[in-house]
Amino acid sequence: MKRLAAIMAVASIVTVTACGTTGTTDTAQRGGGVYTTIDGSKQINASAPINPFNPVGSVFSGYNGMALAWPKNDPTDPNQFYPAIARSWSISPDRSEVVIRLQPNARWSDGVPVTSEDVRVSIGLAYTQGGTAYALDPKAAGAAADIQVVDPKTIRVTQGANRSSTFLANLLSTVVVPAHVFGKLLPANFWQTLKVAQHGQGAAAEKAKSQITGLAENVIAFDPGHDVSAGPFVLERVNPGAALLTRNPYFYARQNIVPDKVKLLNYTGNEQIWNYLIAGRLDNAPFTSVPTAVLDRIRDAKGSEVIKGYSPVAVSLAFNQSHKPYDNVHVRRAIAYLIDRAQVTKIASPEGGTPAVTTSGIHAKAARAWLGDAFDSLNQYRVSPAKADAELKAAGMTKRGGHWTLPDGSPWKVRIHVPASFSDWVAAAKSITSQLGDHGIDASVVTAADYTLYLGELADGKYDLGFWLIGLGPSPYNIFQRLYGQANGWQMFGGRLRHVAPGTEGNWMGGPEKADAGAAGTVDPGELTSKLNFASHDEQQRIVGVLAKVANEQLPVVQLWDYVNTQFVNTSRYTAFPPDDDESLRLSSGVWMQLGMIKKAEKGQA
Amino acid sequence: MTHAVPGRPRLGAVARKIGGHLGRGLAMIWVVATISFVIIREIPGDPVLGQYESLIQKGMSPEQAERATAVLYGFLPTGNLWQQYVGYMGSLLHLDLGRSLSTPGVEVTTLIGHAARWTVLPVLAGTLLSFLLGVTMGVYAAIKRSGKLGDVLALSGSLLHGVPVYVIGLLLTAIFATLWPIMPSGGPVDVEFVPGFNAGYIGSLVHHAVLPVVTYTLASYGGWILAMKSNVVAVLGDDFILAAELRGLRRGFVFRYLARNAILPLFTILALSIGMLFGGSIFIEEIFNYPGLGLLLVNSISSRDYALMGGTFLVITVGIVVANIAADLLYTAIDPRVRSGGAA
Repeated sequence: MKRLAAIMAVASIVTVTACGTTGTTDTAQRGGGVYTTIDGSKQINASAPINPFNPVGSVFSGYNGMALAWPKNDPTDPNQFYPAIARSWSISPDRSEVVIRLQPNARWSDGVPVTSEDVRVSIGLAYTQGGTAYALDPKAAGAAADIQVVDPKTIRVTQGANRSSTFLANLLSTVVVPAHVFGKLLPANFWQTLKVAQHGQGAAAEKAKSQITGLAENVIAFDPGHDVSAGPFVLERVNPGAALLTRNPYFYARQNIVPDKVKLLNYTGNEQIWNYLIAGRLDNAPFTSVPTAVLDRIRDAKGSEVIKGYSPVAVSLAFNQSHKPYDNVHVRRAIAYLIDRAQVTKIASPEGGTPAVTTSGIHAKAARAWLGDAFDSLNQYRVSPAKADAELKAAGMTKRGGHWTLPDGSPWKVRIHVPASFSDWVAAAKSITSQLGDHGIDASVVTAADYTLYLGELADGKYDLGFWLIGLGPSPYNIFQRLYGQANGWQMFGGRLRHVAPGTEGNWMGGPEKADAGAAGTVDPGELTSKLNFASHDEQQRIVGVLAKVANEQLPVVQLWDYVNTQFVNTSRYTAFPPDDDESLRLSSGVWMQLGMIKKAEKGQA
Repeated sequence: MTHAVPGRPRLGAVARKIGGHLGRGLAMIWVVATISFVIIREIPGDPVLGQYESLIQKGMSPEQAERATAVLYGFLPTGNLWQQYVGYMGSLLHLDLGRSLSTPGVEVTTLIGHAARWTVLPVLAGTLLSFLLGVTMGVYAAIKRSGKLGDVLALSGSLLHGVPVYVIGLLLTAIFATLWPIMPSGGPVDVEFVPGFNAGYIGSLVHHAVLPVVTYTLASYGGWILAMKSNVVAVLGDDFILAAELRGLRRGFVFRYLARNAILPLFTILALSIGMLFGGSIFIEEIFNYPGLGLLLVNSISSRDYALMGGTFLVITVGIVVANIAADLLYTAIDPRVRSGGAA
């Protein structure tokens, strides 16, 4: 019994020690404190390497992960950036050449200067991963063609023949890693092999391509063992519950950085983030879907504040037009006239969304910037049972015994599919089915077990109607890709655009290849979307106008609500967070610190 | 002429018995590995598309999401199902479970090893604690079954047995991590402490394990107390207890007779529970962000990480098979009736 008591006493002391303080750490602090937050882009994985090329690697954007520059939250221009490793840049008028000048004082956390060679190696490693600016296919839009080190702090990158309007943006988003750590992953003949892959012919080019893509797995799996960062912080340690980062004494803008440490907490679901916020543990949490009741409790926490800004994403109810009766535009319009979007948003996303003004394929803020007054001339599809009746009758449907039936007299059953884990989408779908039910349409919600299953079945064309994210700005090409891209049958193949039949190769939206665009005549929406990649700003504006009109009239989707970037901050420990609608709002707290925000709160503040 | 001592089997017989168990265990592992291999690959959903759209959902730009996921195609299994199966079994013989898709490039064995240590601590502690508590209280509940104490104990068992584990977990989190935040609400240890044998780190480990262990203990306690009470009540009516009482044996001896006989069936369940601990406790790990095998399995399923799913299923299977064998052998050792093949 005495032994047991002794054990219990020791355990209690140890526990109290742990509960009582978090100050028993290995490094002295200088009073800047520990900034606690969440990385919204990924969950922490303590088993993953310290490698930004690994999607779950322990490199956190803005803290110990640095890009050449950080994108601003501009509604229309994807080429607006804040300086990071790149102090400045310029692009030639024909977009053929970008010159990037690096921060003169940038150093890695081991004291080694950041040079153009680091950027060159980073670009080389990015080629092994593929995509956008670093596609090996020379015909790919916006592919880089040549990388030249001008001097230790200047680098020039030229674009291939198919010049994309987002080349600069894709280039500036390049993550920079230290050449003296990651450089060994590139074989000595890498740049020669790359040249053959991009400009060679036949078997030699194919072999070179496979040699480069063959490096991908090694690059992604590489673990340097310890962090060498050019960012404001360096990873000190990571466990499955959190990552701890300490200040990088060599960071080029170290005078802007106030906290001594940053603690990134892990989470398995939104509930944990809510609990952290209610308990006042977080200095900032990125956008998290929050029910009103929980939001009220978060607001009650001492120092808790909410910042809101533009989020270039909207959610829609998408139709599979290869399934009857959704191939009929009158049916789609009838559904649009019956959905009270304000009601749906109020139920599903009261804090994180604003009801869509109409269906244009674009978030309202960006739509106004692109379309001007033309945005107001689009059909808003205000709730109108009478118009819905007229549309359904035009589609050949009839109402019998209070229920709408298909033209052949069989019952019409609307099945809306959503992933079970997205509570806001489930709530929205239930609200819609209720509204449709009130109008005599037999509608119900079907949930998929998880998002992966949902996307798989959606792509396989198994659903009549499903929820779909749209308006992914700021690039207009990305915005309309969601409506007139692969999901609707348009694919790039060998540098050429083609349209595949509905129900094949991921074409689940099943829309027609041509559409009536009123005064603009008959257009190919996929082709116009593709042109957005290369067009001048004026030409983009014209195309966006046409595509918004086509989307509004043909309704491949019904736009439900535009997301609002709702962030939580706590001013008890730190202040000077970005204000509402700031262009930096979608970036991490680490970037805010780099930009001179985040100051220590005075005692008694908040 | 030699006589085998009753109840003490010869070494050869023991070896044969263990050999038989091992053979059946390996066969079972092969069958489960084969079935799970086929089922896993039949689960619908494109893992790369899933990851791409999840990143979009989290606010990443399409270009960034494409960059982050394009390379994952290289981690997907290739070849037809039979070729994949042959490759999988071949690797399995070399204890190679493959590389993860959701943690690209990292060996599945590494991920399982990391997760296992966070599962074993709270689930084992919770299992043993609930067993000791439940068994002890079960004996009291049976002996005092006519009194108030017996009623209260039996009621506590029935109530806790009926409450789902996630309700207990959420309730404890709400009370001790949110309303009265004296306990951490997530993670296995505070990252600010330097890992090692120091008071701060160990204290933090204990501090973070309290709620998961208490949740697990409360969730399992009801089953143990009810089972033990029922067993003790059954044993109380046996002749040897009456004889012991008539012989005037001290109360402590009678209690030991009672407990030892009543506890026997529970040992099998305990051994199986310990085997099951390799499956982790999905709800507890999810609620407390405790990165054990249960959470690993859930995440591997949602991300369609075939190699990780297969590896985790395999570890759970091996755990249960080994526990089964251990339970069988343990039962033979502690119950003479089993050894002699009939009633003692």
